[in-house]
Amino acid sequence: MARWGMVFDLKACIGCNACVVACKQENSLPDSVFLTRTLSYEYGEYPNVKRVYIPTICNQCEDPPCQKVCPSGATYTRDDGIVMVDENKCIGCSSCAVACPYDMRTMLDQSMFTRGLFGTGALTPFEEQGYGRYTPGTSIKCDFCSERVDEGMMPACVATCPANARIFGDLDDPDSAPSVVIRERNGKQPLPEKNTKPKVYYVG
Amino acid sequence: MLVEMAVYGSTVQGGQEMDQDRLETAETSARLVGNSFKLGYRFQRYWDTSMALAFFFAEVGTGVFLVSFYLDFVPGMIAGLVVTGTLKPYFHLAHMGVPKKSWRAILRPDRSWISRGAIAIGVLIGFGALHIIDLSFGVAVRLGLPEFTGQLLGYLAVAGALAVMCYQGMAMSASESFTLWASVLLPISSFFYALTCGVMITLVAAWGVLGAEQQVMLSNLAVALLVLDAAIVLAILLRARAKSKGGQFSVNLLTRGEYARSFITLVPVIGLIVPVIILAFGEGRWLAVLATAMMLIGFFAFRLLMFKAAVFEPITHDLAGSIGLPSTRTT
Repeated sequence: MARWGMVFDLKACIGCNACVVACKQENSLPDSVFLTRTLSYEYGEYPNVKRVYIPTICNQCEDPPCQKVCPSGATYTRDDGIVMVDENKCIGCSSCAVACPYDMRTMLDQSMFTRGLFGTGALTPFEEQGYGRYTPGTSIKCDFCSERVDEGMMPACVATCPANARIFGDLDDPDSAPSVVIRERNGKQPLPEKNTKPKVYYVG
Repeated sequence: MLVEMAVYGSTVQGGQEMDQDRLETAETSARLVGNSFKLGYRFQRYWDTSMALAFFFAEVGTGVFLVSFYLDFVPGMIAGLVVTGTLKPYFHLAHMGVPKKSWRAILRPDRSWISRGAIAIGVLIGFGALHIIDLSFGVAVRLGLPEFTGQLLGYLAVAGALAVMCYQGMAMSASESFTLWASVLLPISSFFYALTCGVMITLVAAWGVLGAEQQVMLSNLAVALLVLDAAIVLAILLRARAKSKGGQFSVNLLTRGEYARSFITLVPVIGLIVPVIILAFGEGRWLAVLATAMMLIGFFAFRLLMFKAAVFEPITHDLAGSIGLPSTRTT
């Protein structure tokens, strides 16, 4: 069984946010909901100023704090390491949202589903069709596009990235692309002091 | 050095060095990024006023029940159960996204403090109600049950009350996301604040019913608990400040930043210091009522502001070496 993980190459990321748009489209995400973000950060002092882009996503932790605190058993981990939410069991207590040190949970509000993203604010047929998969009040998170991964495809953000800044694969396979990059470029996990053992790495 | 400044706010403004206070204020405003696509501190925005009210009423109700149980003050026990059994669930359900499935909250007591708390509330309400019925009508004796049955029911209710008094703090301290919360002091503060509420409300509610000796005892106990609460609040802030930059950031929000005026005025001054002065030097029921009301305002402010000042830390802490940013972690 694979153990899926992802690497972000910060030298490659150009901050185009194509991954963010692909994720919204793939998952029919309503207004102001993002399962991945590309954060920008400027530092230095004029004229020596730099900007870096730092993609963020659910880290699919091996020891996920969101799963530990879930009182209803809605959050669970698949055999391949992807952390999932069963919306039929989720009670919307937001314990997972405050437990995730990476702020990668989103609580779905009813109001998110009543306004469309375009024009007059009325829902488009695409939105109507897409919003049907969600239960207002529950918590959602990135699941590495598990339905795509199950079909042997890459997550939408990875498939879309024009700069190859997102590298996805099996972390248990030493020859997989992410394993090689992590090994050769000294991949780092975010906030390791939180002891969550993320399966997402950053290289610079 | 320049990069370090960028992370914590520039030390230079208009060509002049800023003093430490202004630096920290600038730092607070400069790096709060809300929910935007910028790297920086993000506010905790998931537990809000409803949750603060749920926590507050659970602690007030269980505190009143516990102290009234100790004093055999039945109206206090009933009031404690009513507050814990109605207002706490009401505000908790108001917070929940799918309240009709709230029964599922009890399914994972093996790992979730929300589950444990929900079960503890059930224990408290169930056994507490049976204890009160037995106290009022002597049901156990009428049914031919052993005499200690009523007392046993009471102790089981007390066990539930003790768990409820602590679990809110446990639920908060279990979250490693926020340095301000991730402390063993949180459940301790929950317990002692709940006890303080119980002592002061019972003192006021049972004024004239209790003997003079008990009244003095409760009044002295309230002063001691208020002083202890103040020490715990101070310890929470000092510990958070020392633990990480995120903790320091939260403490600055409470003591010098956006919430400083509300926090300092309501929590230590109105909620703790003034009630101590009133109880230590004043006499009479109405002064005790005033002190209790002020303490409750301060306690609720503490609950709410602890939610508001919690921040998610930037994820770059340990990525520094790989992306050329400074480490923001204190060592």
